[in-house]
Amino acid sequence: MLKAFFLFFLFLNVLYAQSYSFTEVRYSDAIGKSMQLNGEITFKKEGLEIKYPKSQRVLNYDGEEISFFEDKKLIELPEEQISNMMHYFDILKLLHDGNEDELKSRFTIKELDGKTFLSPTGALKYYIEHIELLKINNTLKYIKLFLKNNDTITINITNEIS
Amino acid sequence: MKYLNHLLLLVLLLIGFLLKDHIHISTNLLSLFASKESVEKLSIANHLGYSKEMLIAVKGFSKESKKNVRAITKKLQSLQDIEFVQSTLTPSQDIAEYYKKYYPLLASFQAKKLTKKEVQKQLQTLYDKQLHSVFYTSIDKNDPLKLFHLELTKSATLKHKGNMIALGEYGYLIRVQTNIPPSEMGRAKRLYDEVQSITKVFPGTVAFAPFFYTVENSAAFKSDVQWIAILSSIVLILIYFLLLRNIKLLIETLVTLFSSMVFAALFSTTLFDNFNVLSLAFGMSLTAVSIDYLLHYHFHNFYESKKRVDKNVLYGFLTTLSAFGIFSFIPIPLIAQISFFALFSLSYAYVVFSFVFPYLGIKSYTRTTEVQSVSSGRKISALSLFFISLILLSYSAFHFKLDANIRNLDYQNISLKSAENLFKHNSQSSLVPVIVEAPSKESLIENLHILKHSVSKSFSLASFVLDKKTCEQKRDALKEYNFTQLRDYIEDASLKVGFRDDYFKDAYKFAEKKQVCILPNLNIFQTFSLSAYTDGKRWYSIALVDDAQKAQTLPFVTDINVKAMFDKSTQQMYKNLILFGSLVLVIIFVLLLVSVRKKILYALNYILFPLALSMAVLTTFGAINIMHLFSLIILVAIGIDYGIYMSNSNKPTHTMIAIKYSLLSTFAAFGVLIFSSIVALNSIGMVITIGCVAIYILIKVMR
Repeated sequence: MLKAFFLFFLFLNVLYAQSYSFTEVRYSDAIGKSMQLNGEITFKKEGLEIKYPKSQRVLNYDGEEISFFEDKKLIELPEEQISNMMHYFDILKLLHDGNEDELKSRFTIKELDGKTFLSPTGALKYYIEHIELLKINNTLKYIKLFLKNNDTITINITNEIS
Repeated sequence: MKYLNHLLLLVLLLIGFLLKDHIHISTNLLSLFASKESVEKLSIANHLGYSKEMLIAVKGFSKESKKNVRAITKKLQSLQDIEFVQSTLTPSQDIAEYYKKYYPLLASFQAKKLTKKEVQKQLQTLYDKQLHSVFYTSIDKNDPLKLFHLELTKSATLKHKGNMIALGEYGYLIRVQTNIPPSEMGRAKRLYDEVQSITKVFPGTVAFAPFFYTVENSAAFKSDVQWIAILSSIVLILIYFLLLRNIKLLIETLVTLFSSMVFAALFSTTLFDNFNVLSLAFGMSLTAVSIDYLLHYHFHNFYESKKRVDKNVLYGFLTTLSAFGIFSFIPIPLIAQISFFALFSLSYAYVVFSFVFPYLGIKSYTRTTEVQSVSSGRKISALSLFFISLILLSYSAFHFKLDANIRNLDYQNISLKSAENLFKHNSQSSLVPVIVEAPSKESLIENLHILKHSVSKSFSLASFVLDKKTCEQKRDALKEYNFTQLRDYIEDASLKVGFRDDYFKDAYKFAEKKQVCILPNLNIFQTFSLSAYTDGKRWYSIALVDDAQKAQTLPFVTDINVKAMFDKSTQQMYKNLILFGSLVLVIIFVLLLVSVRKKILYALNYILFPLALSMAVLTTFGAINIMHLFSLIILVAIGIDYGIYMSNSNKPTHTMIAIKYSLLSTFAAFGVLIFSSIVALNSIGMVITIGCVAIYILIKVMR
């Protein structure tokens, strides 16, 4: 769910790209283990699409509704999960449009040792401790999301597809 | 004796100066139209923030629109009379803290007793999701089995686009709570100007607040009344001078009229607790009717005669006095106050014109032109005109329509109305506000919950705060549940499944803490336009309901729909007006019978025909409002005098001249209001103009 929220940072920094490959490393403090997912994300005129080719899973957001497909079969998601994802996807879309004012209105931004640290100021602060971004030569290398429950999610950008 | 009139004015002004601390003038126009109870409830509603809300719409949902919302929000937050500005759905810090503090009680709790096996099964599912689910699933170490669920309350009236508040499909919406009391015109005007200067910079931005009407309409009202007052004064002075051709008489007349107004104003404003400024203004206009007495005296050379009393003028005065005397008891504050004022001003004018003017040394009237013969031309009998009047009245009764909406009397502010409609049309909210009251804060919440269960849809503090009984039931349920045993099960099972040691060691400890059922500060919900107010005796809050009629069946609920309140009080007003009007007509009929005897029909026509013609014209072109009815009373007052003068006149040509000139002055005083763009004033002008025409027809054609 939260994954959708931080994926948009990819696009903030590479505005003209549309599709990317990414590796997501998710650390769960509850089980003391990490899991890894590989996928592709495409930013469309209205909404976005995330594909996990290995597991044949596709997540589509058209700006109005979210559809989740597994093996090309439409899977119904719980309403609560859908509304939360929509909320984050909307933020994603707005920020993809380059709305830096919005970003500043929701986060306190600090730069340290070439890394960018974003601390949420609104309701997000109850779930997210902070977000860390690393850019090398103006290219985004990773995003780390530090959650309040000590879980971390790291997105490593592998390459731009188109 | 020569300066007695001026001396009287000086004495009155001196008394006025000495009594200045005892003069009470109210500017609350609402109290003139709505019932006392309604005014009190609206006052409470104002304390609760109702009508202090301002809405600003920014067209569209583009990036630019959003940028504008942020910029406007920032500017508004810096203004002095702004309580808060809301453009997103994010709960306030206070509400977030409230949810956190009362979470165990506010959240729904599944008090089902779980077995070890069931706990292990659920934890296994959770573990699997952590390792294999595409979607990230966060684990709540305090409530891993999700026994508690809290649905955050959303505003029942606010739509949204993403996290931002939206005005339907029109664009983004900014809600602003002001702290402008309805009576503080200066502050309202300042805030209005500040908001206008902010919004005009952003194209496609529309702002609306109920107090905008007060600011814009009073400015329009002021400029309208100003030029009408100037026009009226110029026309009056010009007419008096041209007619009387006697500068001394003109000055003495103006001094008398002014003294009459001061005399009546002194009585009215010191005897009434809150004599209204509008009644004062109308009362002063009504004083101009007394010019009839002077004109009749002057054109009949009464001041040179040895007579002490002119019976016709006396009868006219007494009949008018009786009419206003009865109307001063009507339970409609506006008409009662105006009638009370008229009683004193007309009495003073009558006494001065009758008993002081003969000693002022005014030159007698000498006719400069020959008056046309009274008998010239074709005439219509009084009986025929009486029947014509009855036909016109029947026609009016058939087409009679009441305009009960008091707001229609105000200046028709089309641009502000369209702004208001934009918000109404796009908000698509079917909920209407009601006031809920109770003797204590706790019982207020209980009543709000009773209301919540009585209507199908509502939004109030009950949407956020539990009533005492429910809170205690929930507290007891938490107390009875064995969380210690559940935690033991979780800790055992979590290790078996593969969770880290001690990860769930604090599970459900938050629910074991002692829960207290005390009410929070109810004003933290102001961002949802909800709060509580106490006048020291009772507690009040606003609730939004889908069915105000049904809600009102509860004894502690009052509908505060201003239109409904006015409709109710206006209906009552019309009933009273018809009752008192009928009584006045009967009294007038009896008094006319005494004063004119056989010529009763002739005199009665001077009341009936102007009434009938005015009503027929008004009902043909629209609905009758309260100001039309009030003006018809003035018409009756004028008609009585003319009817008596004409019926008993032994010098009809002189009487006709006096009446014609009197009609001209009445038109100058009231008729010019027909040029006003304010419906209330225009209505008066319309009736008086038609009335003057009708009386002119009568003196020309009735035999």
